[in-house]
Amino acid sequence: MLEIRSLSKSFGGVKATDNVTLDFTDGSLTAVIGPNGAGKSTFFNLITGALTPDAGQILLNGLDLAGRTPPEIVRHGIGRAFQVASIFPSLTVQETMLAAVCADQRKASVLHRRFPLAETRDRAENAMELLGLASKRNRTAATLSHGDQKLLDIALALVLDPKVLLLDEPTAGMGTEERWRMIEKVRDLWETQKITVVFIEHDMDIVFKIAPEIVVLCYGRILATGKPDAIRRNEAVIEAYLGTEHHAGITV
Amino acid sequence: MDLDALTGCLASSACLVTQTTSGFIIGMLLFLVAVGLTLIFGVLKVVNFSHGAFYMFGAYFAMTAYQFSGSFALAMLCGAAGTAILGLIFERVFMSRVYGADVLMQLLVCYAFVLIFDDVVRMIWGPEFKSMGMPAAFQVVPLFIAGGVVPPYYLLLIGVALTAAMILGLGLARTRIGKVIRAAAHNPGMVSALGINTGLIYGGVFALGGMLAGLAGALAAPVRSLTPGMGFSVLIESFIVTVIGGMGSILGALIGALLIGMIRSFGSLGFPLFTEGLMYLFMVIVLVSRPTGLFGKEVA
Amino acid sequence: MTELQAEQGAQALEVPREAKTRRNRDALIALAVFVVLALLPTVFSSKLLLDFVIRCAAYGLFATSLNLLVGYTGLISFGHGMFFGLGAYGFGLMMQKTGVPVPAAFVATLAITLVVALVIGAICVRLKEIYFAFVTLAFQMLIHSTILSWVSLTGGDQGLRGGIPRPPFLGIDLSNQLHLYVASCALLVIGLFLMHQIAQSPFGYTLRMIRDNATRASFIGIDVWRAKLTIFVLAALFASTGGIIMALFVSGAYPEFAYWTISGEGIFINMLGGVTTFLGPMVGTVLLLILNDTVTRLTDYHGLVLGIVILFFAIGLRKGLMDFVVEWYAQRRNGAGERG
Repeated sequence: MLEIRSLSKSFGGVKATDNVTLDFTDGSLTAVIGPNGAGKSTFFNLITGALTPDAGQILLNGLDLAGRTPPEIVRHGIGRAFQVASIFPSLTVQETMLAAVCADQRKASVLHRRFPLAETRDRAENAMELLGLASKRNRTAATLSHGDQKLLDIALALVLDPKVLLLDEPTAGMGTEERWRMIEKVRDLWETQKITVVFIEHDMDIVFKIAPEIVVLCYGRILATGKPDAIRRNEAVIEAYLGTEHHAGITV
Repeated sequence: MDLDALTGCLASSACLVTQTTSGFIIGMLLFLVAVGLTLIFGVLKVVNFSHGAFYMFGAYFAMTAYQFSGSFALAMLCGAAGTAILGLIFERVFMSRVYGADVLMQLLVCYAFVLIFDDVVRMIWGPEFKSMGMPAAFQVVPLFIAGGVVPPYYLLLIGVALTAAMILGLGLARTRIGKVIRAAAHNPGMVSALGINTGLIYGGVFALGGMLAGLAGALAAPVRSLTPGMGFSVLIESFIVTVIGGMGSILGALIGALLIGMIRSFGSLGFPLFTEGLMYLFMVIVLVSRPTGLFGKEVA
Repeated sequence: MTELQAEQGAQALEVPREAKTRRNRDALIALAVFVVLALLPTVFSSKLLLDFVIRCAAYGLFATSLNLLVGYTGLISFGHGMFFGLGAYGFGLMMQKTGVPVPAAFVATLAITLVVALVIGAICVRLKEIYFAFVTLAFQMLIHSTILSWVSLTGGDQGLRGGIPRPPFLGIDLSNQLHLYVASCALLVIGLFLMHQIAQSPFGYTLRMIRDNATRASFIGIDVWRAKLTIFVLAALFASTGGIIMALFVSGAYPEFAYWTISGEGIFINMLGGVTTFLGPMVGTVLLLILNDTVTRLTDYHGLVLGIVILFFAIGLRKGLMDFVVEWYAQRRNGAGERG
């Protein structure tokens, strides 16, 4: 269970995250939506330790992770993928996976053995299979297509066996068809891996069709939380979206 | 270590004036070299490792011009103009080929030219120490300020350097060209999209940087001995200045240069053998407490 | 194309067994190279050749260790030469002042290097790119200035003179050129083997990840600062070993060993040979030393010629020799694959 309690962060007077309190129950799939500049990425950066919160708690199964460094937070089980695929351009897909498992097993500074370690193989293999990257194992990450790079980024998070997986716009920069393929994949992963998944998404069709739970952020505050139907009927949400950008996905 | 000499000097106004003046001229010469470095880094994001060579050429050009014409003004002009042309050629023909490449490649091209330029100077002017000699106009009775000796040439040197600093500062802040240069430093893509020739700006900035270093060399020629490789120690010190002041900051270069000048001048009394060590120590202390230098912008 | 990839081809599942055999194979190669080098004097008894190999050992260890920082971790150090100088002076002083046996002085010098590198590294590795380069350079110059000014200990600009005593130990007499030659070869081969092991270990891949994308590395649980500090210290130890060989070779230590130009040459050697292969710096070392020796013999204007050669590499080739060879080979193989 991931519990966010009164989380706040401001940048020079602008409240990017303003007293946010939220629960993500184990095994839930939640979409975080909100207009541009709503503070969605800041919210992710706070949870994963890329930014230090000004106040508040981030409780993972009761343990407060607020203010810890990214490596510590990752090791406690919160993995993330990035809006712009964040990968290791010169490593191959397979090397990336093997090295990540190595890091997860606290063997990233082992000097006396050869890479790759035998015990990392199965997990790496598994992650590549799950994301359909096994056939591209020997390609260097830089030579992969945009979509495959996004998958590799997710695989990097997933291979660490996280309890909570945060995906920052998994469908960013994709065409409609590719978006749906990607989001189906995310849903599959959620169903088969039984982990808590939180993703940021702009496409409302996708959000309302896929996500059982939705959180709406606006100006750093929580505007609404709930099931798709409730969100669709929520006055404040309609106001926020129609007021800023008229979106096809929101219809009364 | 000779702390008595240092405290003794601090107690005497004559010594204080002499050492401060000497610190000022070291600082001013360093500033002229360092400001070019910082400008080139700010606009082109290139660390010009061969910048010391322009200082060296400035001095040699000035010496030769002075020997032929006997005119000090012409010597200064030749030192500055010659290195400006050299800077332009260097940038257009060589450096412009490695902008997209690895930082290491840029450094290597510069390193190559450090070696080449030093040898070229040895070929033309010979390997031995040379001296330009003090122009007759300045061979007058030194001034005495509060008991300290101040040669009039030092005042000229400080004056010229300060004038150059002011023209540069005002030029960048107020003129159209200055605005374009600052814009190019900030966002090169935007500037070229607006139809401004970035190649011209880059070449111009290199020429300007070369000219300032050449002017410093020319100004230094009457008071320092000339030798191939003379640019290098100046280069290292200018690096310290730019790094202390913050890469890309002109004010930082000025303050940094004066600080280093004073450290050299007073440090040579108290720590005659460790004067250079003091500078490096100072640089380490500054960088550890403020990793981007005194006036550098914080990078997130 | 990485080395692992080149070796494995497409058979992914054979990974772990190969890992072990690869190390055994490397050990065999190292042994073979050492035997060949050690037998060299029986075929060519030229004193010049032996001297050349000893110098290659000193600079090769230094340059390869620098590549662990520059090529593998993306840490561009301008001050790596300080550890070369530290090794030479530490060892020379230890032998001159204390008269301990050679192996003890060797270990003690490495211990001193370790402590110094730990302190300097802790300050430097948190700085970003260009600032890291300059602060390491500043430390290098600080050490150089200290050597120049601490005349009573270091002899100032005269260096450690009067020769370094090299009392025989275990039947090895390092004042004998042949013995020194074999010992240098042994240190070189062991050093290269150990560094290759580091490069091919899980830690070596951690370094590659940091070079490629340090932010991402921290988000898979890697403590970037610690990893950088570790490799900074390890590289310093190998550079120091190079300095020790140099001190033994010239039977002294000079301020130039700690001057920034040593670092400059190290970077240049890396570029000359190429930073994307493990042996690139070694190839670069041999090239630079041959180049230096011939050019010095042929002309007084040795900087001019060297500069033009550097320009050729930097502007013409745009990469090191080994990088060039590896790419050319890969292209040829791909070309052949497409045709077949």
